Amino acid sequence: MSLPATAAVSRSSVLDRVFADFNRVAAELPGDAAAHAARARAAAQLRELGWPSARDEQWRYANLRAFDRLGGFGPHAAGAPDPAATLAALRGRLELPPALPGFERLIYLDGVHVEGTHPALHTGAAAIVWPAEQRLGLLCDMFATDAAHLRLRGESALEIVFVGSGRASARAAYPRLQLRCEPGSRVSLIERHLGVAADAAAPASLVAMNLTIELARGAALTHYRLQQCARQTLFADTLSARLEEHARYAVRSVAVGAGSARTSARVQLAGRGATLAWHGIAVGRGEQVHDVTLKVEHEAPETATEELFRGIADERARVAFSGHIRIDARAPGAQTRQSLRGLIEGAAAEIDLRPRLEILTDEVRATHGATTGRLDEDLLFYMLARGIDRSTARALLKWAFLSDALREIELPALRAEAERLAAGQLPDVPDLGAPQ
Amino acid sequence: MSATPMLEVRDLAARVGGQDVLKGISLSVAPGEVHAIMGPNGSGKSTLAYVLAGRPGYEVTAGSASFEGRDLLTLAPEERARAGLFLGFQYPVEIPGVNNAYLLKAALNAARRERGQSELDAFEFLQLVRSKTQLMHIDESFLGRGVNEGFSGGEKKRNEILQMLVLDPKLALLDETDSGLDIDALKVVANGVNSLRNPARSIVLVTHYQRLLDYIVPDFVHVLARGRIVRSGDRTLALELERRGYDWLAGQAAA
Repeated sequence: MSLPATAAVSRSSVLDRVFADFNRVAAELPGDAAAHAARARAAAQLRELGWPSARDEQWRYANLRAFDRLGGFGPHAAGAPDPAATLAALRGRLELPPALPGFERLIYLDGVHVEGTHPALHTGAAAIVWPAEQRLGLLCDMFATDAAHLRLRGESALEIVFVGSGRASARAAYPRLQLRCEPGSRVSLIERHLGVAADAAAPASLVAMNLTIELARGAALTHYRLQQCARQTLFADTLSARLEEHARYAVRSVAVGAGSARTSARVQLAGRGATLAWHGIAVGRGEQVHDVTLKVEHEAPETATEELFRGIADERARVAFSGHIRIDARAPGAQTRQSLRGLIEGAAAEIDLRPRLEILTDEVRATHGATTGRLDEDLLFYMLARGIDRSTARALLKWAFLSDALREIELPALRAEAERLAAGQLPDVPDLGAPQ
Repeated sequence: MSATPMLEVRDLAARVGGQDVLKGISLSVAPGEVHAIMGPNGSGKSTLAYVLAGRPGYEVTAGSASFEGRDLLTLAPEERARAGLFLGFQYPVEIPGVNNAYLLKAALNAARRERGQSELDAFEFLQLVRSKTQLMHIDESFLGRGVNEGFSGGEKKRNEILQMLVLDPKLALLDETDSGLDIDALKVVANGVNSLRNPARSIVLVTHYQRLLDYIVPDFVHVLARGRIVRSGDRTLALELERRGYDWLAGQAAA
């Protein structure tokens, strides 16, 4: 044991705090969001797996130390002031644009449903077994105070907004979403996380979210994810998706918020012809850490993955993306394309891209590429030589760097918002795409 | 001739990548004049253009350059451009994701602000650009595409001239704008450049071949070899070079 003792103490102390808080609040947690027995099973599984360690490849780039600085793991207590009134009071401080036409909007405050309805919405979620690299999902299984369960048929469009209030009593929130898209359904889902900044002296708060997504035969889901939490937030989301025959899952993810963010995602392509298109953007500034791990498992013939990630690390930020694609023996004819690119803007910034392709069958077509660099000085000079000022030129080049991911956002209003969030505000862009 | 030259270069020496490339260039360009700078590969023609435009990595080691009497070398590249200096690139870069119209409008409005003019709105801008695209035989759909993205060599060069027409500079430095052009494209490019000729504007053409000068007739021709101007003359010098080749003057560079 050559490891410093402090590291071990620190890890176990986080786990000790988790269990201490759990024992304190477990009896009061609502049974409809998760059965008490299921919470206890999740706790037992976490105890068995232990707290993640940076020595583990899957957790190397996560900002695990941020968990030491949390105010606590217990969720916002029931019986606190009326959530609807709290939301109303916060509204002026939230950057929440109007709902898109055709989209029904549900709002959750600190993990609890407060506004909007949907005919297919129920409370409650089935427990699932998380693998070790997704073990933070167990926190939400233990502490969840609400759970949105949606079974969608036909065509539907909805937006779920998760708001962090920044209240001192809301040290941790555990949003939980379970979505099943029935055979042949066409679903657009916008998942948005935003928060009101707490005062700087307040300890960091936790948002630990679980998503489980099932796409039945022929179902198509386009899932827009905008993570714009307040900087005092530690954001950890755990996503598990399973696709049956000819299901199509498209993810458009834009992460710009939170002090530290960790996405642990796993997608199983379980039915013939199932396809995943995962397009993600992460932009870090200041001391932000964005860490995404995505594991895609091809388990059936003729399944396809397109994975695209663009990360920008400014100042002292760290951006990491691990893309593991496994094509097992049941998946002949699989196709994968993986393109990971990082842009380092800050002198002390860091980008870590880890593509990994594991192929256990013949007859697959797989391409991948991962590159990290700085802004191209030749491109910058070209713009300067046209009289464009340096800051605009840099912003334009960052925007250009992100453009192949941004252009996949099919909803124009949302795309414009994502562009603004990810690349910063640019002066008016003439839209010449449409014929005049 | 006007009292203040548009461009006045004196004994300019510059180093690139640790190598002395320009070894004392002097050149005076008055408003309304068109100068051609010719020379073999490696003679320093492009370096001169880059130094005047302010490209990083091109270190001036001696001499001076002024633009309408202002010290050019103390200005940042974007300040030179806004003051009215335009560099037409030999190899225009592709910038996927930034559309041509956006770049052009941002550049134009930066120049207009500098001149104390109001910025153009989207409609005025389109009106202005449309007439120029027609002159340059550029399909309007190019404006909505990424800067030079997927353009052929000739399209890139025509796009450079389009930018010049829109930006309306006082001094245009065109770095081998003719290279890689077929004869039809060359005529279009020359036509665009000639449309800008007027008594208030100066043009410096950097070129390897005299062919371009059949279409854009210069007032003066300078031959650059090994970092120095070895001969200056009128357009007949270009014709003589065409006949006798650069070797004819190579010996004079060493002198």
